[in-house]
Amino acid sequence: MNYWPLYVSLMALAVVGTARWQSARQQSVLLPMAISCFLVVLWELACRWTQSRIFPTPGQTWAGLLELIESNRLWGDIAASLFRVTWGFVLAVAVGIPLGLVVGWSTRTFRALNPIIQGLRPISPIAWIPIAILWFGIGDGAGIFLIFLSSFFPITVGTMAAVRNISLVHQRSAMNFGLSGLELFRRVVLPAALPQIITSLRIALGVAWLVIVAAEMVGMDSGLGYLINDARNAGSRYDLVVATMLVIGMIGIVLDLLIRRLERFDEVRWGYATR
Amino acid sequence: MTTQQKVVFEKVTKLFQRKGEDLEVLRDIDLSVAQGEFVCLLGPSGCGKSTLLNIAGGFERPTSGRVLIDGESVLGPDSRRVFVFQEYGIFPWASVWDNVALGLRQLSKDEQQRIVSQVIELVGLKGFESTYPQELSGGMKQRVEVARALAVDPDVIFMDEPFGALDSLTRLSLRSELIRIWHESGKTILFVTHDVDESIQLAQRIVVFTDRPGCIREIVPVPMEHPRDLGSPEYGQIKNRLYDLLGVSHQV
Ligand SMILES: Nc1ncnc2c1ncn2[C@@H]1O[C@H](COP(=O)(O)OP(=O)(O)O)[C@@H](O)[C@H]1O
Ligand SMILES: [Mg+2]
Repeated sequence: MNYWPLYVSLMALAVVGTARWQSARQQSVLLPMAISCFLVVLWELACRWTQSRIFPTPGQTWAGLLELIESNRLWGDIAASLFRVTWGFVLAVAVGIPLGLVVGWSTRTFRALNPIIQGLRPISPIAWIPIAILWFGIGDGAGIFLIFLSSFFPITVGTMAAVRNISLVHQRSAMNFGLSGLELFRRVVLPAALPQIITSLRIALGVAWLVIVAAEMVGMDSGLGYLINDARNAGSRYDLVVATMLVIGMIGIVLDLLIRRLERFDEVRWGYATR
Repeated sequence: MTTQQKVVFEKVTKLFQRKGEDLEVLRDIDLSVAQGEFVCLLGPSGCGKSTLLNIAGGFERPTSGRVLIDGESVLGPDSRRVFVFQEYGIFPWASVWDNVALGLRQLSKDEQQRIVSQVIELVGLKGFESTYPQELSGGMKQRVEVARALAVDPDVIFMDEPFGALDSLTRLSLRSELIRIWHESGKTILFVTHDVDESIQLAQRIVVFTDRPGCIREIVPVPMEHPRDLGSPEYGQIKNRLYDLLGVSHQV
């Protein structure tokens, strides 16, 4: 019998027990690490009690992760997923932000297009998979299209709402100083909406990362979603399945951290509560 | 009167629709403001002061009647007459410098530079040019807004309770600075307030409004030179007169 779960729990307990003497920075690193340790211990104990032959233990998952890293397979699949997400997302930004700005600003355009946008929005991007494959075949095209769809709606709707929220005082200031046309958009409409637009980008990227995995499991032959399916089909390698899930989670965190950097610019910081 | 009339209200009436019913906010406002005059519009909250100022600023249309500036009907906002808003109208996404330069877009960079630094100096914000509004106190934000208005060298400045959100000490010092700027620039100023003391400290004439629908109850002149002595008997008399007109008691 291996006693590592006991030692790890004791260490985690020590960290939690001394929390009050840690600085705010230390707390926000150490405490989540301690909780994660507890969770891993629970996972290990659950495997031992149930004596599961199929579900991997933390150790097996770790070994699976190393195996994935050593085989060049993992990097290729990560690159494939990120490639699709990047392009789909960039296209959605390029179309969604200008469209949202115009539709949000012009009341007539809003009346004309908003019901259509709201009607298409509740259709899950997953439901589009058959059509995506029909139009683009199995491959990057379909993936990019699906990611475009999944990011396009949050971005467009978020931008529209942001523009419609611009305060009357700021609109009147702009009118008072004679701003119009492109200048009005550049100096008032876009900057006023930017904090909320960035929030919608965050949401969109999160959704995109969820959708790409599902799409790759169903209709693609590379990427992290495909890797999960492949690991299960090729000999029930659940250690690889769980290892890939962890990789997906990690990359999701990194993507969110990257996009949150946008919130720090002087031009948008006013839009976020300081806490 | 020989002085030139700058802003003239002619029988201005305003109705708002609310839940299908007409709400009469202003009734038959007749008022003339002379070139270079400082006039306060004083009245209880909700009597239509902001509405009247918005009509003069071109942001709202009167239901009937009209406002003339230099003899021309006001049809929309215009940068020759600038509004200073009750809530902060400056842009939080732009630095102090960019906010103040907002109305100077057509000028050359050199001209902008010259005017912006001049008005920033005038309102006492030197050294804060690259600061963002978020990092400024309420009083400083309001100075930025005044600087933004002065930068375009308008004929008329409309101020809608510009110091309402500030603490009383800041308010007092901004008032004396406003008076200094007014003396230096000779602008026509229409200043909305519900604060009796504020109106006596600032205005040459105080236009007292009734409750809604807002009508002009009386126009009270303030024949005192600046700087005004807040403890003088004259000040006290005007204050009592205003309290009478507003129908509030003198004692608490
Ligand atoms: N756009 C509007 N629609 C309907 N009612 C309004 C509108 N603007 C102002 N009002 C009403 O008109 C009245 C006068 O408002 P306002 O001019 O802001 O008063 P004041 O500035 O004197 O406090 C208030 O009762 C207010 O609710
Ligand atoms: Mg008001």
